[in-house]
Amino acid sequence: MAFTLYSLLQAALLCVNAIAVLHEERFLKNIGWGTDQGIGGFGEEPGIKSQLTNLIRSVRTVMRGKKKNEWNTLKF
Amino acid sequence: MNEPHPSPPAASKRRIPVSPPGMADPHQLFDDTSSAQSRGFGAQRGPGGLGYPAAAASPQEAFLADPVSNMAMAYGSSLAAQGKELVDKNIDRFIPVTKLKYYFAVDTMYVGKKLGLLFFPYLHQDWEVQYQQDTPVAPRFDINAPDLYIPAMAFITYILVAGLALGTQDRFSPDLLGLQASSALAWLTLEVLAILLSLYLLTVNTDLTTIDLVAFLGYKYVGMIGGVLMGLLFGKVGYYLVLGWCCVSIFVFMIRTLRLKILAEAAAQGVPVRGARNQLRMYLTMAVAAAQPLLMYWLTFHLVR
Repeated sequence: MAFTLYSLLQAALLCVNAIAVLHEERFLKNIGWGTDQGIGGFGEEPGIKSQLTNLIRSVRTVMRGKKKNEWNTLKF
Repeated sequence: MNEPHPSPPAASKRRIPVSPPGMADPHQLFDDTSSAQSRGFGAQRGPGGLGYPAAAASPQEAFLADPVSNMAMAYGSSLAAQGKELVDKNIDRFIPVTKLKYYFAVDTMYVGKKLGLLFFPYLHQDWEVQYQQDTPVAPRFDINAPDLYIPAMAFITYILVAGLALGTQDRFSPDLLGLQASSALAWLTLEVLAILLSLYLLTVNTDLTTIDLVAFLGYKYVGMIGGVLMGLLFGKVGYYLVLGWCCVSIFVFMIRTLRLKILAEAAAQGVPVRGARNQLRMYLTMAVAAAQPLLMYWLTFHLVR
């Protein structure tokens, strides 16, 4: 039973990092999960896909913080 | 005993009455730290530092007459008061103490009835939580309200029973207790996070708070304890029987409780009930309820051989 709190913390950190590094232009737009592709409807029901895209965008914003401009110039 | 002792003579004189180890009266501990004769920080704290009142009268007077130690005591007590103030001011930022107090407002009748409900939820008719002017009624007055007392006690008892089970099989070592506790807590945290994520993705507008979720998910420890104890007494057959019964009970309990919290919102808002959305919420409720028996088995099967 090696499932400890520390391994949970590690797994959570790796998952959040994985969500944060999904590239907006190279990847998400190609699979239709870009942030400007789904937020058309202001109806009552956002739907799972738009909730997911919002979540990915929020995680990216929070994790990248103030250095967004530098990320754009690095161009990995 | 006095000569080789490195501490000052006043302290070593005081150590005489308590030289037999473990003879300190537990009441002495509490009385001494709250009374005016307390020593504050410094060398006087420790297992040998508490004297019996009869013998301590003269060494304490001699100690207090010394002006330097007087000052030191005053400084120490003011430092302690400052620290206490700081903690009191900031504790509300990290742990919502007032909200937690609601979950521990239980009494014996409530605990007894709730335990009965956890083992036999089939005859209970009304699962709705009563409200009193927009706030839920304290658990003491409503058996349907979630509380944190039973889950906390059940968790600690589970750790102890796990230690007992390991001990009867000669597999016990102290760090295994910590491992069991950490493992159970990690699964609980994972469950809470998964359910919160699902509630967010399905845009369920519910008044189910995180602490409520922790309370509901903590009720399974009661069934786990029952299963392991029966397993210790009657072997694998008893374990499987009781665990099976508790699994079904927890499944029914969770479904009936969560249905009111997760699915009732759709009807309460007056939105026409559309099939797809309510279906997803029903799936979520079933998934949460089904995860309980699985985890109950996973966390206990290795304890019963």
